[in-house]
Amino acid sequence: MKRVVVDPVTRIEGHLRVEIKLDEATGKVEDALSSGTAWRGLEVVVKDRDPRDIWAFVQRICGVCTGMHAISSLRAVEDALGIEIPKNANSIRNIMLSCQNVHDHLVHFYHLHALDWVSPVAALKADPKATGDLQNAVLDKYSLPLAGPMDFNFNAYPKEFPKATTAYYKTVQDKIKKIVENGQLGIFSAQWWDHPDYEVLPPEVHLLAVAHYLNMLDRQRDIVVPHVIFGGKNPHPHFIVGGMPCAISMNDMNAPINTERLAAVDASINATIDMVNSFYVPDVLAIGELYVKKGYVDGGGLAKERVLGFGDFPDEPYSGIANGEYHKKLLLRCDGVVENFGQGLDKAVYHELSAQDITDPAVLAEGVDHSWYSYPEKGKDLHPWEGDTEPQFTGPKEGTKTQWKYLDENAKYSWLKTPKWKGKTAEVGPLARYIIVYTKVKKGVIQPTWVEKMVVDQIEAVSKVLSVPPEVWLPTTVGRTAARALETQLNAYISKYFFDKLIKNIRSGDTSTANTEKWDPKTWPEQARGVGLTEAPRGALSHWIVIKDGKAANYQAVVPTTWNACPRDSQGVHGAYEACMIDTKVKVADKPLEILKAVRSFDPCLACSTHLYDTAGKPIGVVHSDPYGKK
Amino acid sequence: MDGKDSLWGLFQQRGLSRRSFLKVCMTITGILGLSPAMLPKVVSAAEQNPLPVVVWLHGHECTGCDESFIRSQSPLASDVLLNMISLEYSDTLSAAAGEPFEHHLEEVMKRYEGKYLLAVEGGVSTGNEGTFCMVGGKPFVAALKEAARGAAAVLEIGSCAAWGGVQAAKPNPTNTVAVHTVVSGKPIIKIPGCPPIPEVLTGVVMHYAMFGQLPPVDSQGRPKQFYGNRIHDTCYRRPFFNSGMFAEQFDDAGSKAGWCLYKLGCRGPETYNSCGNLRWWNGLSYPIQSGHGCIGCSSNGFWDNDHFYDRMPGIPVAKTITNADTIGLVVGGAAVAGVAAHGALSVLQKSKRRSGEHEEVGGPKA
Repeated sequence: MKRVVVDPVTRIEGHLRVEIKLDEATGKVEDALSSGTAWRGLEVVVKDRDPRDIWAFVQRICGVCTGMHAISSLRAVEDALGIEIPKNANSIRNIMLSCQNVHDHLVHFYHLHALDWVSPVAALKADPKATGDLQNAVLDKYSLPLAGPMDFNFNAYPKEFPKATTAYYKTVQDKIKKIVENGQLGIFSAQWWDHPDYEVLPPEVHLLAVAHYLNMLDRQRDIVVPHVIFGGKNPHPHFIVGGMPCAISMNDMNAPINTERLAAVDASINATIDMVNSFYVPDVLAIGELYVKKGYVDGGGLAKERVLGFGDFPDEPYSGIANGEYHKKLLLRCDGVVENFGQGLDKAVYHELSAQDITDPAVLAEGVDHSWYSYPEKGKDLHPWEGDTEPQFTGPKEGTKTQWKYLDENAKYSWLKTPKWKGKTAEVGPLARYIIVYTKVKKGVIQPTWVEKMVVDQIEAVSKVLSVPPEVWLPTTVGRTAARALETQLNAYISKYFFDKLIKNIRSGDTSTANTEKWDPKTWPEQARGVGLTEAPRGALSHWIVIKDGKAANYQAVVPTTWNACPRDSQGVHGAYEACMIDTKVKVADKPLEILKAVRSFDPCLACSTHLYDTAGKPIGVVHSDPYGKK
Repeated sequence: MDGKDSLWGLFQQRGLSRRSFLKVCMTITGILGLSPAMLPKVVSAAEQNPLPVVVWLHGHECTGCDESFIRSQSPLASDVLLNMISLEYSDTLSAAAGEPFEHHLEEVMKRYEGKYLLAVEGGVSTGNEGTFCMVGGKPFVAALKEAARGAAAVLEIGSCAAWGGVQAAKPNPTNTVAVHTVVSGKPIIKIPGCPPIPEVLTGVVMHYAMFGQLPPVDSQGRPKQFYGNRIHDTCYRRPFFNSGMFAEQFDDAGSKAGWCLYKLGCRGPETYNSCGNLRWWNGLSYPIQSGHGCIGCSSNGFWDNDHFYDRMPGIPVAKTITNADTIGLVVGGAAVAGVAAHGALSVLQKSKRRSGEHEEVGGPKA
């Protein structure tokens, strides 16, 4: 039995360490440990601040899924204060959310995940002409001709289209060759390029994907143009409680939003749709099929047993979230929990997760048995609104607290807590959303919206391409990666849908973008609490606020990567990262590429997930910075 | 190695003279603190040495600065990564991970000792002996000090590295500090912003790749070409400030007309950054153009400078026009007096904040 440590796990957001216990003879992972190794304490920082400012602070939880935490925070504050935002603000926020999903997913695949599948070194063996032919074949076979509703379409022809010429691929190959010959590999240094998994794909696929890595690196910036137009910048665009700051006027040449500004958004959304349809979706499906055909259907782990979602994209403004109104307006109703999808649709069980449920401590709670925090009552999990924790850093099993050898899976080993649904861990993310919507529609729980219908159509189309049923290919490392690509296509059309909706509403004469009736804290109740839900790129995200006397008395965020990367619970039951590592075979003990590929298929975001929770109303001084109990 | 990717190669490609190349080598010799007798060695290294090596570390951060970096339009991210620098270590973009990755860093630090640029994104957590931020099983603060020892210069990327950032806002539970608080004895350049504008980030790197030296900086260590003016001085809405035309609340007639956001808390008058002139996405927009006041994200301690929507202390403003139809009635006198006064007064704002003084010197209350 060999213990293998990977720290730092790179090509992710934040600081993550994984350790596995490996049976070298069989390649079986006997146990796995996932540890978030940093804690920033932003919830402590926002305490006692003006709730109208908090979106900007918590937005800085993460610069990769930028805007997600801001919008979750705005929704929580608006829920607490009973603010309904104008229609235009709802459409604009949905455009910003969906284009962020697209950007986040596309950059994740090409720039954070691709190098686990493809290698620039292998690309050197490719024939440039055959690569051009391959590009044509990939577009023919793996394009998914699905689309959302389009009220108008000013895009005359696809502007973003892959190049398939021999000269193009030869030039890219020559550049890679030069880098390798110069010996300055830069970002390509020190990877296990000799790992056998890089032989699953033919050299031409490697060259094609490396060329697209570079092409998309230079094109991705155009996907988030809506953030720059509506929010002034990216990352970290600007918002306001009550709506959006970008006033709309067709009568003023200096207006934040006028026809010319909207034209820039239109062009961006059109380019985004082309990028997803012509590059991302076909590339992922081409690689995915080769892997599935060669029997790579591992890495599912917890996804086979339990997935969870909150739902997103309110079609119209709503009066609140905790009161259940948000859930009635959603286009993507992935709210709920699905168990046992890995055993097929028949055996899969759907559980409702209503607004009432999520505010119930018996349904939603967090534990700290293996987290570097302590709870007042040992072993008792707490709901986020009631959360209470102090840092309790206990160090590693072997090594010193500033020089770790191995962490201790039997004690505390992570700055992440363990979120639970009815006492059980669950996987969240694009894969979870797809499993939940597919199950709900197929079991007749919901009549599908156009969004949900597209989800089902995509899953069925891919099942045909791969010639295996969804329960076989979806809950796997390949499936997690494919679901993200499908969701990107979906989100590109969601941007388009809400853009059309925005135009129609402006056409009807409504240019309002902000509801400022309750801007003044004098109009607020003495005490209020709210929850803000979103489906962030990495999964179900919730922000929780308690407002007292115009200030945040308590603030918490339960984020997707906490659900997925959490340490095991008190019974030793694993979270999603750990379960997926245990469900993955390793060929070369000291080069666990398969483990990194599986973990990266979640798109880890550790800065998002490491937080501290405090009791409502407790003074800030309650945070002890000394891990050994001295105050 | 044929030297094509060397600094001299770059100069040749760009049609720059041998004379200017030698001048740059002299400057590098100076920056590196070497004696003039070392010049021939620097010249020979720059003739043959490959691309400038960059090591990019991550402390307490959100990765927004990496994201900003790859959004650059000119230069494009691919040109920076493949032809301008050799990014040998980056948690976000490097292919490798774990032990081989850490070993590679050690090798790079040895091979390029005294030559590599150290880019640091994120604040440095010093609480609990640095255990609030562990990388590779060691505190980040230790890794940072080790990497800084052999660096030619240090770039503080973003407001977290330059000032401590959002986690250092009160009560700073992890005791996070700026990079220069724990690293010294090296040229240190601040590139603040949350995040910095993409072209500002790559602009500093490009300057180094083009001219072989770090760009000129102000007294605080910020490149003057990017942080030489306040946003207020370059803001396209400045004429409305001067004329006393303000948005009074979000989505009102002034907001729609794109008037000055000063009364909604805009920090443009005290913030040094390129948002007004470069803007984001090569001129597409910036927060003020999109209707939200500047929050001062490139300023030291901006997180603790009041509620974002409170107007700044200490700037006199003219009478406000609330109705677009009455623009013709503006009398400029009060505004002109205000403009003359506010330049001098901006210096006083910090002290006014500290003393809790929030009354404006003149003009009506918002």
